Amino acid sequence: MIFANVLSQLPIALPAISYKAVAPELVLFGGALLILLVSATVGKRELPGLYRAIALVAALAEGGFSGYQLYLAQGAKASLAVAGAIAYDGFSAFAGIVVAAILLLAILIGPGFIKRIAGDGPEFLVLMLISAMGATVMAQGEDLIVIFIGLEILSIALYVMVGYRIGDGLAREAAFKYFILGGFSSAIFLYGIALVYGATGTTNLAKIGAFLALNVLTHDGVLLFGLALLLLGFGFKVSAVPFHLWSPDVYQGAPTSVTGYMAAMAKVGAFAALIRVFDIAFAGQIVQWRPIVVGLAILSMVFGALFALRQRELKKILAYSSINHAGFILLGVYAGTAAAISNTLFYLIAYAVIVVGTFGLVSIVQDSIGVSEGSCSLDQLRGLARSRPALATVTAIMVLAQAGAPFTTGFLAKFSIIVSVVEIREYWVAVVAMLSAAIAVAFYLRIVLAMFRGEPEEVEGERVLAIQGAATEAPARRQALAWIGVSLSLVFTVGFGIFPQPLLDLAARAHIVG
Amino acid sequence: MTIPGSWYLVVAALLFGLGAFGVLTRRNVIVMFMSLELMLNAVNLTFVSYARMLNDVGGQVDVFFVLVVAAAEVVVGLGIIVAIFRQRATVTADDISSLKG
Amino acid sequence: MGYLDWLIAVPAVGALVVPFIPVSEERRSLIRGFGLAISLVELVLAAVVGVQFNSHASGYQFVTDVHWIQSFGVSWFLGADGITLVLILLTALLFVIAMFAMKGVKDFRAYVGWMLLLEAACMGSFTSLDLFAFFVFFELTLIPSYFLIADFGMGASGKAAVKFFVYTFAGSALLLVGIVSLVFIHDSETHRLTFSLPALMDTHLSGTTQLLLFLAFTAAFAVKTPIFPFHTWSPDAYRAAPIPAVVMLAGVMAKLGSYGIIRFDLELFPSTARSLAWLMLTLAVIGILYGAVVAAGERDLGRLVAYSSLSHMGFIVLGIFAFSTEGMSGSILQMVNHGIYTAALFLLLGMIYERRGTLDMAKLGGLQKRAPIFAAVFMLVVMASVGLPGLNGFIGEFLILVGTFITHRWWAVVAVAGVVASAVYMLWAYQRVFHRSQADASPFGEIKLKEALLVAPLLALIVLLGLYPAPLLARIDPTASAVVQHVLAAKGPVSDGASLPAVVKGVK
Repeated sequence: MIFANVLSQLPIALPAISYKAVAPELVLFGGALLILLVSATVGKRELPGLYRAIALVAALAEGGFSGYQLYLAQGAKASLAVAGAIAYDGFSAFAGIVVAAILLLAILIGPGFIKRIAGDGPEFLVLMLISAMGATVMAQGEDLIVIFIGLEILSIALYVMVGYRIGDGLAREAAFKYFILGGFSSAIFLYGIALVYGATGTTNLAKIGAFLALNVLTHDGVLLFGLALLLLGFGFKVSAVPFHLWSPDVYQGAPTSVTGYMAAMAKVGAFAALIRVFDIAFAGQIVQWRPIVVGLAILSMVFGALFALRQRELKKILAYSSINHAGFILLGVYAGTAAAISNTLFYLIAYAVIVVGTFGLVSIVQDSIGVSEGSCSLDQLRGLARSRPALATVTAIMVLAQAGAPFTTGFLAKFSIIVSVVEIREYWVAVVAMLSAAIAVAFYLRIVLAMFRGEPEEVEGERVLAIQGAATEAPARRQALAWIGVSLSLVFTVGFGIFPQPLLDLAARAHIVG
Repeated sequence: MTIPGSWYLVVAALLFGLGAFGVLTRRNVIVMFMSLELMLNAVNLTFVSYARMLNDVGGQVDVFFVLVVAAAEVVVGLGIIVAIFRQRATVTADDISSLKG
Repeated sequence: MGYLDWLIAVPAVGALVVPFIPVSEERRSLIRGFGLAISLVELVLAAVVGVQFNSHASGYQFVTDVHWIQSFGVSWFLGADGITLVLILLTALLFVIAMFAMKGVKDFRAYVGWMLLLEAACMGSFTSLDLFAFFVFFELTLIPSYFLIADFGMGASGKAAVKFFVYTFAGSALLLVGIVSLVFIHDSETHRLTFSLPALMDTHLSGTTQLLLFLAFTAAFAVKTPIFPFHTWSPDAYRAAPIPAVVMLAGVMAKLGSYGIIRFDLELFPSTARSLAWLMLTLAVIGILYGAVVAAGERDLGRLVAYSSLSHMGFIVLGIFAFSTEGMSGSILQMVNHGIYTAALFLLLGMIYERRGTLDMAKLGGLQKRAPIFAAVFMLVVMASVGLPGLNGFIGEFLILVGTFITHRWWAVVAVAGVVASAVYMLWAYQRVFHRSQADASPFGEIKLKEALLVAPLLALIVLLGLYPAPLLARIDPTASAVVQHVLAAKGPVSDGASLPAVVKGVK
């Protein structure tokens, strides 16, 4: 009686759910459930081939649905679904394609190496699919609370994945650090949402935009403080300086395959949401948030490059490199024009593919020298060019692509960001960005030089043993799928690096309408 | 006498600050964890207060989402802490110092 | 595909293939053979371009122009004029020699791979007429040259390589921002997004903008050339890097800088180039004198040659900014000549180093008695570098000085002092190394047949071009005078409203 009374009083109407809009999420979640179901019903727990097949199909289907949405969305305004809480437009569809690309590569590369540290159980792929779902929710979220939930789905799955090498002290600490600081930043983000809600009376981005367009706030302190907290939360998630302190440790402690996956997926989700929140909903407040974003961007680019110079550990260097990249992507957000958003998406897909490929190569290298998925000092790369010239060459190309070497997507990504910044006539920002890239090149070159320097026979006896030990386990078979993944990312990086037009067209279609 | 809504907001802000301070300064893993929960609940209080002030049910609904998420976080967080505890038999974060920026 | 496309594609594909050639360490000379074959094919291609080149035309020939990245208005736009042609020939020749000069290289595979990539990048830089494509190739040269400097160096090569890289990359960072800015200014004027050099030449720029862009472009080229205050990386890199890398660095890469100044600075910003000519001329003269003075004080033969190279590149810059056809032709010719004799000089230094393990002049001496033929060869090259009439160094330097004297008398007069100084320190060095009683009694082997064959083509060119430079000059002249005309005819910057006669008077 009371229940019915309450229901009739409250303005709650069950929303109509457009399954077309949420198909990418459903496919990923369905894939995850199916894997769990199979592992629970079939008596045998370890069915790596089947799990991988299901996960791959789910990833491809997600990519397919996103591609279909992109096809539908061209030129159209954002379509809202599920009571306006979910948007599906070219932007979210392109982000969905990026997610599918990351998943595809990570599923090919990761499990073979994870098997060596945690067996062939279904959990790893399930976590991967669920976190990817979180990223797509973030990209599609049109409501701050939905974005928050997407963020948490992504993050919680990643906390577990980071701690996968639970027998290893570094990994446990990395997982704990990631968890505490991740939770901390989520709470800050959430408080930002609450304050924005207080200032505008809604958490829906479209309604916030409409409210702010109609009303001039006499006291906008709460709103601006909320915005600052939102930015802070995003800053933590994308590890922008000065909120980057967790990332070098986490990158080092996490299993290498997870590091690459996390670096790509967390950035795609966070930046997709960041663009939607700031470049669309708070476009009117651009005067207020722009200085903060450009500050974060410059700090990240410059200090990411500088801090990396004094590191000797490969994964930490790559962590700082990803901080430097985050700075570049933030510049795209800072520019904020429609072309800049397309260019940012281009940067995201280029970066995601390169970073997953790079860490995949690190996994292969580590596997060959017998340090499965742990930390890897530069000294361990010595002589690689002479013992495994092909592996060293491919690694060199991917690392140089991160540095922005010509004829790779890495270069075009940086170039397109510079174009966006020059377009809004902020020449000095462009100069600073390029100079930071100049510093960054120095540490990328150190990685490559480490491989090309030294003789394989200089290696201490321990490692030679490790190589032999690994050889008896037939690393070729374990690495075969990983090689396919790495080759795909290489072909993508160099192919679109030389002929980028199709990809640029695709990114241009993904424009976003407020 | 009714207490103005802004008082609740101030309390929530204080709780949030307290929680943030706890996460950043305390060394006991469990206490850090509790501080994190304190932050989330401060946000919940903010949501509810605003919902009351704006006479809008949305803020109250948001609290449920936050509660669910917080519960999920607890599960994972405690899992990680238990894993550390098993190996180290300590819950002091100072012992977790092999990794340095 | 035109010849120019092949010039880029052949070494690029070669570089990509090298890491994957399934050859064991023992039979690694096969890789060397592969590198040689590719570079010889490249030389033949360059020669074909040279033969088919129409020496009477000043425009671009062998043009390829297809869309590349429409979103950014980038096209694959290649073409060659006289400047490009001679530089292509020089590049192709020096790479063949560098491929032969592989003695002492440990890792053939890496060496050949990086060399071929560098060759492709150099060819691309010299032939690109699209600013994006040019920048891409210009950047691409850095990566292989970094590894060539760092990988097989004699001493503190790692540090020198990093210094080289950071300096040049910082310069090209400014260049990229300059290029993109120029393109967007052009876009806002004409609503046509393009990186094509001929199209961008029509951009109307205000005086300040043109000045800033000129400085941004020049920063990159000045580091690469190097021009006086931006040279500090070069002695370290030349001294630390292995000989074949230095041959490429001083012989080819340095020319990228001076080439860039002619092709981009002068074509795009003629009026600023003219109004800042005094600055560039002064820097060039300072470079000439400073290089000569420091070279005279050096005890190390390698550093001496590095500083003399700085001095000689100063002459090239001097001739460019003299804005007379003689000066311009002389500079372009001197780029080739400098490439040839510097390459020969560094190869000979490498041979000395190989025999004695040092280039310290105090520890060398009396080599002439032990290896008279070697000494004679060395003498010939030294004479070419100091500009002895009849050898190739003379013609270019002479044209530069004459051309500068016509338009900027006093700079030319001061620069002549550099010529004299250069003769003094080079001969002094020769005397100390080859004549003075020897400090080290150990034997010094005579030049071997292989070594002789390596330098023979360079020696032949030194004499041939010294006696008969006409074939090159005939191809250079139309382009050189076209560039000079372009600069002198350019109106002042749009907002300044200076009339043409006033500006021309300013130059005189």
